[in-house]
Amino acid sequence: MPIVTTLKADFYSSVQNMIHENEVYGVKRKTPSFAFDKLCATQELCLDYDITVLPPNQYLLPPTDPLITFNLSPEVSIRSKVESRATIILGIHAYDLHAIKLLDAVFTGNLVDVNYQARRSATAIIGVDCLNPWLYSFAASMGTALPPSIFDLWLTDLGGEYLIEVGSSRGQDLSKRYLKTKSARKVQIRQRDKFRQDSLNRYQLSLDRSAQEIPEILDKAWKNPLWEELGEKCFSCGSCTMVCPTCVCFDVRDKITLNLKRGERYRLGDSCMFDAFDKVASGENFRPTGTDRLRHRLYRKGKYMLERWGELGCVGCGRCVHACLVDIASPVYAYNRLVKEATQWPSA
Amino acid sequence: MRPKVGVFDFTCCQGCELQILNCEEEMPDLIAALDIVAFREAMTERGNYYDIAFIDGACSRESEIVSLKEIRKRAKIVIPIGACACLGGVNCLKNAYPMDEVLKAEYGEAASYYDTIPARPISAVIPVDFFMPGCPIVKEEFIRVVQELLAGRDPYQPNDPVCAECKAGGNVCVFDKGMTCLGPVTRGGCKATCVTGGAVCWGCRGLIDEPNIHAEKEILESAGLSMEDITKRFNLFNVCQEGVWK
Amino acid sequence: MAISMKLESSLYLPKLAEVIKVEPLAEKEKLFRLRLRDGNRLDHTPGQFVEVSVLGIGEAPISMSSSPTRDESFELGIRVVGNVTRALHRLQPGDTVGIRGPFGNGFPVSELEGRDLLFVAGGIGLCPLRSMIRYAIDKREQFGRIILMYGCREPAEQLFRGELVEWRQRQDIEILESVDRCPLDAAWEGSVGVITTLFPQLNIDRHRTTALVVGPPIMYRYVVAECLKKGIGKDQILLSLERRMKCGMGFCGHCQINNVYVCLDGPVFRYEELTKLKETEV
Repeated sequence: MPIVTTLKADFYSSVQNMIHENEVYGVKRKTPSFAFDKLCATQELCLDYDITVLPPNQYLLPPTDPLITFNLSPEVSIRSKVESRATIILGIHAYDLHAIKLLDAVFTGNLVDVNYQARRSATAIIGVDCLNPWLYSFAASMGTALPPSIFDLWLTDLGGEYLIEVGSSRGQDLSKRYLKTKSARKVQIRQRDKFRQDSLNRYQLSLDRSAQEIPEILDKAWKNPLWEELGEKCFSCGSCTMVCPTCVCFDVRDKITLNLKRGERYRLGDSCMFDAFDKVASGENFRPTGTDRLRHRLYRKGKYMLERWGELGCVGCGRCVHACLVDIASPVYAYNRLVKEATQWPSA
Repeated sequence: MRPKVGVFDFTCCQGCELQILNCEEEMPDLIAALDIVAFREAMTERGNYYDIAFIDGACSRESEIVSLKEIRKRAKIVIPIGACACLGGVNCLKNAYPMDEVLKAEYGEAASYYDTIPARPISAVIPVDFFMPGCPIVKEEFIRVVQELLAGRDPYQPNDPVCAECKAGGNVCVFDKGMTCLGPVTRGGCKATCVTGGAVCWGCRGLIDEPNIHAEKEILESAGLSMEDITKRFNLFNVCQEGVWK
Repeated sequence: MAISMKLESSLYLPKLAEVIKVEPLAEKEKLFRLRLRDGNRLDHTPGQFVEVSVLGIGEAPISMSSSPTRDESFELGIRVVGNVTRALHRLQPGDTVGIRGPFGNGFPVSELEGRDLLFVAGGIGLCPLRSMIRYAIDKREQFGRIILMYGCREPAEQLFRGELVEWRQRQDIEILESVDRCPLDAAWEGSVGVITTLFPQLNIDRHRTTALVVGPPIMYRYVVAECLKKGIGKDQILLSLERRMKCGMGFCGHCQINNVYVCLDGPVFRYEELTKLKETEV
């Protein structure tokens, strides 16, 4: 696939055209942070950002997502409800795209979640390299600071222009339709590689071991007193999971009209940190304490998702590190502590 | 048969009842679905049997105890609505003072014409079936609870803290803006409307079932609040839940 | 583009099924016979579960109580525990429910052929086990001994009483029954005590026997210990776990136990597999 360049000024006027013809969700300022939101004007777009409050998952897995609709009167009937509209996500960082790669594995593997799939295939992804990482991010350690090859277009800020890698035929079409490009010169590609390399060294948080070793570290950590130490402080508020780009758990509920004639079944975001998450109807709660739940979350991120779907469940974005008011949610902190203590405690 | 519904007010500002009347869009459907037989803020008639009794306000007089017991006798399902009815709410702030002083402060010379007792939530007087908290209640939640009752299920009783909906809604945390908040220990279901609107969570929906009060105190303290400030903050809506949070 | 464009039908869409018959089993349990509106068979394996919808109320995971060896209808034994089950208990013949599934791994029927089957049912655990018991009865010649050990809290809580009478009369099924306690006025010929008190009178060929155990979480540890004492292999003790399966497809996360999903990898597990998990009750 080609690599091209475009002048920044040209790019921003292209975005204006893109907004006219498409539903574009891009990064805007949301003081003191940034957030994905629907773009109405190109001036709103902010591509030089460190983190967004929420990952762009909301466009693939909306907080509430209708699954079926039904009629109860005069006759009972049910239909699936699948909503999708052609959408462009503009400005995604590499770690968030790694998360989407994991969501693809979860929702479009052996069993296909059509609601996810329909939205996903209608969504074009234009990403940008994060050259000035966020204080709380540790994506470099997780190997997620550079994009996986599932983007349509990928931008690197070279100063006066963007270097753009085309990643798909849809990206090609977008580029042809909207962008004023020139072929990239070798020196520009080398410059991109250098910028990327430099950015990797700017991460302030890092794992003491390689990310591949996390499952092994966890294998020996089930009974580590760390879980208790962290769990005691836990609010079970779910903040860490709500901001997480790989958290996909949901609850399913029915909604019915006041005349009881029609209704809808929808899913809504749920969290394994909530105390009722593992409760069954008969009252048994299989993860009754904050400690149980916190440990489950960090095992899911560092081990279970990898075992089942081939990707680590943590992409190192750092949102949970920052979102947690009692400073216990950080995977990098927990995994590093376990490495440090590995020698001190009996295994499992 | 439409279920018979009564809406009653006790010690409160009646704002929660106003929220019901504010369901303008749904009002025709509500009226078609429910047989509203008592609703002092909206009508004069009174029935004497209720499938559902919504109770607004705290209990703060002996006579209210009698009325509540009477309502309980006649109602199949009793649901306190709003912070006053569910928690005692701001009414309970007076409980820290002797009742005669409270009367004098409010009514001056006319104090002797009134009686008052320490304010308390409805559940302290009669058994209740469900709760619909909030100051005021959330319109959408009222509609949802009615729908669920009509459909024949127990209404969902939110027990996830405000933080969850607040984060899911994409808000910047108030602590990041240099403010403080009771979100981590307060029952959600309000879509974190106060934080979304630029304020903080004051805890009007009461505490979740298992609040980590210790951790909440710690974060408030490290944000610079004194123990006295913290107590005041908790007391605003939750003074009657003292046993839980002290 | 990493995603293929094939649009499949929604896995969340239930099929409509008609309630054909409702039969009380005990105070809180009823047996529902259902048939899919489209006339198709469910084609389930004993031990699998379905998601049952009462539209407007919600969905609940329920284990199959019937055997696929019979006609196209199927049966679910359901105890009232929550909103969906309460709504189900209000249904009458002719009413409609939604059905998704069957989901998960049931009992490994072909592997069980030729083996002696020791069914251990605690309370409502008989509902899922009945699917396999009836399967084994319908294909009686394919199996060795059939032993049913059934424990309840009280005689009045026994389910499928009519069928138990039938089974007791058969020469080719052995039944051992217990109740935790017996009111003075109750007619009861079985033993009194928790289900594990039945084990001493049990004589089995440990090499030929597979135990199929379903009951409340608390029961598992004790029953498994008894089975092991009898010499039954860890891979020949099968248990069905109850979790809060919401989606049935490994998406929603509710039924996860360490790295397994009860909805996909269970609900029937070998004890041997469960010993590798740190979060189970056994």
